[in-house]
Amino acid sequence: MELLQVKELEKHYDRFTLDRVSFSLEPGYIMGFIGRNGAGKTTTIKAMLNLIHRDGGEVTVNGRSYSEHENECKKDIGFVLGEFDCYRKSTLRKITEVTRRFYDSWDEAAYADCLRRFALDESKRVSELSAGMRVKYALALALSHDAKLLILDEPTSGLDPVSRDDLLELFRSLIEDGTRSILFSTHIISDLEKCADYVTYIKGGKILESTDIVSFREGYRLVSGETAQLETARERLIGFKAHAFGFTGLIRTQDAARFADCRIAPADLESIMIYTEQEDGHEQAAV
Amino acid sequence: MNKLLYKECKLCLVPQIPLFFVFALMMLIPNYPCLVAAFFTCNSIFYSFSQALVDNDLLFSTLLPVSKADVVRGKLRFVVLIQLATLAVYVPVIFLRHAISPAGNAAGVDACFTLLAGALVLFALFNALFLPHFYRAPHRVGRHFLIVTLAIFGWIAVFEGFMIVCGAARDSLPFFAWVETHLDCFPATRDAWLAQLAALAAGAAIYAGANAWTRRRTIRAFEEQDL
Repeated sequence: MELLQVKELEKHYDRFTLDRVSFSLEPGYIMGFIGRNGAGKTTTIKAMLNLIHRDGGEVTVNGRSYSEHENECKKDIGFVLGEFDCYRKSTLRKITEVTRRFYDSWDEAAYADCLRRFALDESKRVSELSAGMRVKYALALALSHDAKLLILDEPTSGLDPVSRDDLLELFRSLIEDGTRSILFSTHIISDLEKCADYVTYIKGGKILESTDIVSFREGYRLVSGETAQLETARERLIGFKAHAFGFTGLIRTQDAARFADCRIAPADLESIMIYTEQEDGHEQAAV
Repeated sequence: MNKLLYKECKLCLVPQIPLFFVFALMMLIPNYPCLVAAFFTCNSIFYSFSQALVDNDLLFSTLLPVSKADVVRGKLRFVVLIQLATLAVYVPVIFLRHAISPAGNAAGVDACFTLLAGALVLFALFNALFLPHFYRAPHRVGRHFLIVTLAIFGWIAVFEGFMIVCGAARDSLPFFAWVETHLDCFPATRDAWLAQLAALAAGAAIYAGANAWTRRRTIRAFEEQDL
């Protein structure tokens, strides 16, 4: 059974629409939720959690409708919306003392284990923690009430590369037992290469693709050619950059046969996103 | 619900709240409009809401396994707890004032149980005007408080002004004389006690009724709010 299922989620603003967003996640996996800034990642997460009103759609967590069983679903979810930025003058001990009362399944031993594992000092105030430690504290709270689904919105965006790598390894270890899953929104694509099993790509409020990371990468190829070849190739290119010696662009793998005269290479996630974000195959300014 | 009240007390109790209870001692100042002391409690609650905004309290609370309606109910209980604690602090100060200075108050109501009724109406007014607006547009908290402050001082002017008029015109109307000897004094007779307890009961009824209305309206405002 899917741990998370999002079906046809809609939210309409004057200048932005979340357009029938759908994806699902099984236990034991990490899904990267990617898109550029303003693509709708945070809006999707907030609409999923009823933090903003949906105009349509359905979310189920562990088989239960989120709308109908919101409190029960929340007990199954651990939230990290950015870094933990609440009650900055309060100590971790005080915040934990409050939080534990809301969860019947609170496991004191698991919490103590998290404190040790993440080197968290309960006597410190939130304001005294680094951005990475705040994310770890939010994770400690989530893991102590045995959350099965961790929803992390841009958890690594304020971290240095070493802290990011440290956190990504932690994410992998958290899903090892096959009971938990992580939905992890980010615009830092290199993070996904390191830890995600699935990718859901949102652009302008619409899901472009939601699939496993290998299939996602295999669906695209990078193509390079000379300037003379660009005119004939242009209509098949998803996006491209022209330079003094020719061009480099992104194509669908099924179109690769049409580019027999060009150099074809596997595409990485970052290239896929950069070229896809070029509107309708328009050329991006050459560097 | 008690968990939410506990959360409020642990994480949203700013130092101004217990500190401003000291303003009850303003009742000891000769010829001072005693009801103004209750405004300082509203002021401390405003500080708590402002700090809650900085602390992302609304988001933290909403992500707990409780409904948005329960978040509002928890906050309202916290506010009521502070306001009732304020009144509890007033009671010994009323007796103290009578013991050290039994003379009447030329600036308005005497330190007595009618004052508690006036304070309950003031708190009801604060809750009804401040809470729904805060949950509808939290980031305009300062503007809401300014409007509420004007309304509160309007009530203080009406309440204290009425007592001054009753004192000054006691000989012109029997009703004014009755107010002066039953409601605007430390209760020394059985009739004065009964009159002041009846006033307190009326204040409590207004407070309870207004809070029920405030709760419904605030819940609706918060339900409509996108976080």
